[in-house]
Amino acid sequence: MTGNVDTDRRQLDEVTTELLERYSGVDHLRARIDVGAVHSPELWRRFADTGLLSALIQEDRGGAGLTPQHLPGVLHAMGYHAVPEPFLETAVLGATAFEAFSDHPESSARLEALAEGELIVGIRLSHLDPYVVFGEDADLVLDIEAEGRVTAYRPEELEVEGLNAVDPLRPVARVTPRGAGEVLGTSPRIATRLRTLAVAGAACQLAGAARRLVDMTVEYVSVRHQFDRPVGSFQAVKHKIADVAVGVDMAEAAAASALGDLTQDDAAHRAAVAKAYAGQAADRANVEALQLHGGTGFTWEYHLHFWLKRVMSLSAAYGTTTTHRRALAQDLLTHMNKEQ
Amino acid sequence: MMATKGTDVFDGSVDEFRTQVRQWLSENVPAEKLRPWTTREGFDQHRQWERTLFEGGYAAVDWPVEYEGLGAGLRHTITFAEEYYRARAPERVNMGGLYLLGPVLMQYGTEEQRRRWIPDLLSCSTVWCQGFSEPGAGSDLGSLRTRADRDGDHYVVNGQKIWTSMGGFADWIFALVRTDPEAAKKRKHAGISFLCIDLRSPGVEVRPLTMVDGTQGFAEVFFTDVRVPVENVVGKVDQGWQIAMSTLGFERGAVFGDHAKFSNDVAALAGLVRQRGFTDDTLALDELGRVLVTTEVYRANVYRLAALSEAGGDLDRTASINKLYWTEMQHDIFATGLRLMAEEGAVIGDPGTIGRDDPVTAHAWQEWHHRYWYARAAMIFGGTSEIQRNIISERVLGLPKEPRPS
Repeated sequence: MTGNVDTDRRQLDEVTTELLERYSGVDHLRARIDVGAVHSPELWRRFADTGLLSALIQEDRGGAGLTPQHLPGVLHAMGYHAVPEPFLETAVLGATAFEAFSDHPESSARLEALAEGELIVGIRLSHLDPYVVFGEDADLVLDIEAEGRVTAYRPEELEVEGLNAVDPLRPVARVTPRGAGEVLGTSPRIATRLRTLAVAGAACQLAGAARRLVDMTVEYVSVRHQFDRPVGSFQAVKHKIADVAVGVDMAEAAAASALGDLTQDDAAHRAAVAKAYAGQAADRANVEALQLHGGTGFTWEYHLHFWLKRVMSLSAAYGTTTTHRRALAQDLLTHMNKEQ
Repeated sequence: MMATKGTDVFDGSVDEFRTQVRQWLSENVPAEKLRPWTTREGFDQHRQWERTLFEGGYAAVDWPVEYEGLGAGLRHTITFAEEYYRARAPERVNMGGLYLLGPVLMQYGTEEQRRRWIPDLLSCSTVWCQGFSEPGAGSDLGSLRTRADRDGDHYVVNGQKIWTSMGGFADWIFALVRTDPEAAKKRKHAGISFLCIDLRSPGVEVRPLTMVDGTQGFAEVFFTDVRVPVENVVGKVDQGWQIAMSTLGFERGAVFGDHAKFSNDVAALAGLVRQRGFTDDTLALDELGRVLVTTEVYRANVYRLAALSEAGGDLDRTASINKLYWTEMQHDIFATGLRLMAEEGAVIGDPGTIGRDDPVTAHAWQEWHHRYWYARAAMIFGGTSEIQRNIISERVLGLPKEPRPS
C-alpha cells in the first residue's frame, strides 16, 4: 500500500475485480445453488489469501491497516458480482468490532482467525433489521444494540432458524439467543460506528448490484432486434435506461461519500442518505431491467434474476428506504426545534 | 472590505475564507428582501446588488484573477456558494453573462473582445441574455434560421429568437446566427456563428412574454436589418456550433455550491411540515425524507465532481446526468411543498401570513409558487429532460442511435 488513499483504493479495486471476475462469476453462483451450500470455503480462502479479509485489521496484527474509506469500490464490486459471501459482515463489521474492543481477551485471536478465513461473523442490528445474513454459517453472531452494548454469541448459544430467503445467494436466518453471550464491551460510539458501516456498506453493495442491472440491460437491448433494429435504439427504451442510470450514478456518489470520513459528526446521516437513495435507485433498476429483458429475464436459465433478487434482499437489509427517510425527516425536524 | 485575490489565499483551509465571506455577507446582504427581478423595479435592485458584489470582489469568485475574478479553486467556490445561500442573499441575475458568455470569451474570444465586454459584464453594467432558441428551433437547435449576411464590415441580421430569459431587461444578446445559409443544405450545423448584438441597435425589437405566473421573465427578440460589426463574432466565422455546445455544457454542468440553495428549500419544507401540523404524519415524513435524501445525494455528487475536476477528470460526460437529476429534484421539492400545503395550495399566500420566526418566511408562499414554475421551466431550458435522456443513453451508455430522419 502506498499511503495515498486514492492510489490504494484503485489498486484494491483492481485486485478485487480481477479476483471476482475469475472466481465468482455466474458459473460460481449457479454452482453454489447446485451444491446447496452458498458459502464457499474455497472462495473465502482466496479472499483471505488476497488480504481482503484483513483489509481493516491493523498492520501490527498482520492486516493491511486500511480504513473503510478504502472500501467503497470493493463493496460495490461485491454487489456487482452478486458475491454470495458475508464479506461486509465479517471483514468490515466483524473486524471493526474486534479492533474497537481490542482490550477484550478474545479479540486478538478472533482477528487472527478472521484474517485466516476461519471465522465467519453474523451481525444482528436488532433495532434496524431482525435477520442475520449467513446466520447458519456464522461462527459468531454479534448483537449490536442501539444503546451501545455489543454481545458475541457462539452457535451453541443460539437458536438459528434458516429462512426462505428472497435471494438464495444471500441467505438470512432468525437468530434467538439461548445463552447469556459474552459482552465485548459497551460503547454508544462504537455501536453507532458499526451501524453506520452496515448501512453504508449495504448502500455500496446495492449501488454495485444496481450498476450490474444497468450494464446487463444496456448489453441486452443493444443486441436484441425487433422491427429490424436493436430495441435499444427506440426512445421509449432509451429513456427508461437513462433514468435508471442517473439514479445508479447518484447512488454511487452517495455510497462512496457514506464511507468517507467516519469520524465526522454527519457520518450516520450520510450513511442513511446513501442507503435510502440506493434502495430507491435499485428498485427502479430492478423494475426496468426485467421489463426491458422481456421474457428472457424471467427465465432461470438467464442470469438476470441473481441481481434482481440481490437488490431486493439488500434493499430490505439494515433499514429500508422508508425507514431511513422517516428517521432523517424526524432528525431534521428535531434539529430545527433545537435551533429555535 | 475587499476580498483578497490570488492563489495564496486559497492554498490553505477553507475556514479562513469562509469567515471572511460570512463577515462580508452579513454586512452587505440587504435586510429587506428585494422585489422580484421580473419587475423593472426588482430588476434594478438586483442589478444594484450585483454591483455591490462586484465592488466587494465577489462577483465571480472562481474566475481567473486576470479577468478580475478571485481565482478561487473549487472548494472555495463551493464554500462561497454555501455561505451565499446561508445568508439568503438575493438571486443572481447575471448568471448568463458570468457563467455562459464569460467562459466563452475566455476560451474563444479575442483580447479586444475580452477587454471590451468582460469588465461591464462583471460589474453588471451590461446584462446579457442568450439568443439560441427560435420558434422553429427548440430541441432541434440546429434548424435555426436567423441569418447574418455580410455587408462590408458589418453583418445584417434578420430573424427571430424566442424564450429569451431576461430578454426584457438585458442590454446585449449573444446569439447563434447563420452566416452561411448555403452550408446548411449539406450539414445542418455548419455555417452558424456566435454573434454578440447590442439590443439597442436599430431594428431590434424586444417583446416581453408574460409567463404562466403572470411575470415577464422571458421575451421574443426580433431582428430586422440589424447592422452588427463583424468584430462582434466570437470564435471563427461559421464555426459557432461548437461554441454553442460548450455553453450548453456549462449550462447543464454542475453549478458548484448550489446544493446549499436546495438545503434551504428543504429546511423550508420542514418548516411547512411543522406549520401544517404534519410532524407525526408518516406519509408527510416520507415525503420530506425523500426530498431531503435527494438533495443530500446531490451534495455528495457536487463534492464528487469537484474531486474529479481537481484530479483533472473530464466533466463533460456528467453534464446531462447532472442536469436531469437536479431539475427533477428541484421539481420534486416544490411540487411536494404544494402537496403539503394541502387546501392552502389553492391560494397564493400573502408573505405576511407566515410568522417571522418560521423558516418558511424566506420562502413566502408567493415565492414558493415562483420557484415552482421556475422548476418546471428548468426541465425545458438548456435542453429538455428528453434531450438529456437521449444524450445519456447514446453518449454516456453507448446505446444504439435512433435512426435519423433522412
